Amino acid sequence: MPYLTVRPLEGCRGVRAAGEIGLATHMIWERALEQAVREGEAVYYLELSEVTFVDVAGAGALAAAAGRLGDGRRLVVRRPPPTLRRVLETFWPDLSTIEVSVS
Amino acid sequence: MSTAAGTVGATTDPFLHPALFYRDEREYLDGTVPFVREGLAAGEPVAVAVPGDRLRMLRDALGADAESVRLLDMREAGRNPGRIIPGVLRAFADAQPAGRRVRIIGEPVWAGRSSTEYPACVQHEALINAAFRGRTVTILCPYDAVRLPGHVLEDAHATHPTVIPAGSRPARDSEAYAPDAAVARYNEPLPLVTDAMTFPFAADSLPDARHAASDEGRRLGLTGVTLQDLALATAELTTNSVLHGGGGGVLRVWAEDGHVLCEVRDGGRMTDPLAGRRPAGRDQRGGRGLLMVNLIADLVRVHTGDRGTTIRCWFPR
Repeated sequence: MPYLTVRPLEGCRGVRAAGEIGLATHMIWERALEQAVREGEAVYYLELSEVTFVDVAGAGALAAAAGRLGDGRRLVVRRPPPTLRRVLETFWPDLSTIEVSVS
Repeated sequence: MSTAAGTVGATTDPFLHPALFYRDEREYLDGTVPFVREGLAAGEPVAVAVPGDRLRMLRDALGADAESVRLLDMREAGRNPGRIIPGVLRAFADAQPAGRRVRIIGEPVWAGRSSTEYPACVQHEALINAAFRGRTVTILCPYDAVRLPGHVLEDAHATHPTVIPAGSRPARDSEAYAPDAAVARYNEPLPLVTDAMTFPFAADSLPDARHAASDEGRRLGLTGVTLQDLALATAELTTNSVLHGGGGGVLRVWAEDGHVLCEVRDGGRMTDPLAGRRPAGRDQRGGRGLLMVNLIADLVRVHTGDRGTTIRCWFPR
């Protein structure tokens, strides 16, 4: 069965996700994103290097969460699978509250 | 007064969609250059999306005016006819300020379009009418009356409410205009390919279906971004089958000439002909899967009917 685990990051505000983001795991992903919006931190990290795939709806949930952040806040998405960046650039090219970091 | 292409027939719809038939370079330029210049003179935004050779010809004829026009090579931007409405026409029209007519020259059908691409071309031309109904937009579609076969020119009369016959100026109403019938006529069955990687899937095997498509795509020679595109398209199509197509379906992947093809069959019926052809609103939740497939594939063909839906997409290898 498809899985997605989400654990707190050590040393900074954010979470490390592992697994894949698709139909079976959207709920878990959206819960993690709601948490990110609620936290109220200026910068919140989503470490995705162990995420193997994100579908278009998963990217949409991320964009929606980023759109709910207040002024001066942003989500930093670290090392996402390549299609995530592609989908974000296609549908939300001007979304300034998401920063994709490849390092 | 206006040029032929700007003339309104006996319709109250501000959207104009004439087919311009041309036999040579002179007729091409006579039909397109005044259309562009008139728009520019009125302060209207103008875009030209035509095959590269015509694009160069038109750019040369426009001289300095070409700098005020958005120029696109339709062979690239519109290779998949299913992405022309969201990715070319509405992408330009929706970005313009309200209040002024938007003018676009769009040439999606050219000699050399394959017989596999052609049904998608006709459906695209027919669906433009529904996609732009009520909009203050003119989309002028040139057709090469010498090099395109007769049935293609006949189809253009079915998909365009007005036509400009070769060598003449005024647009006249097309008596054969019947866009819904054209969409239905080219809703052609996609015969089963038996010599293909075949994978029946349901909700709990969506990731397995995606992996199966990736493995087969890699074996057939796909790499890099195109292999990722195949995986993404597979994920979106199979997820749609689970959500809207009866809970599952059958995935097939195989190679044909220079392409790897990915096909999903399910028991659903697509009732919205514009599905996957509307640009998504920034705040719209969901509904982008088929649009993404249209944007990344070289070609998308759909057959839908009482017994189910088949969507087939082509990726270059």
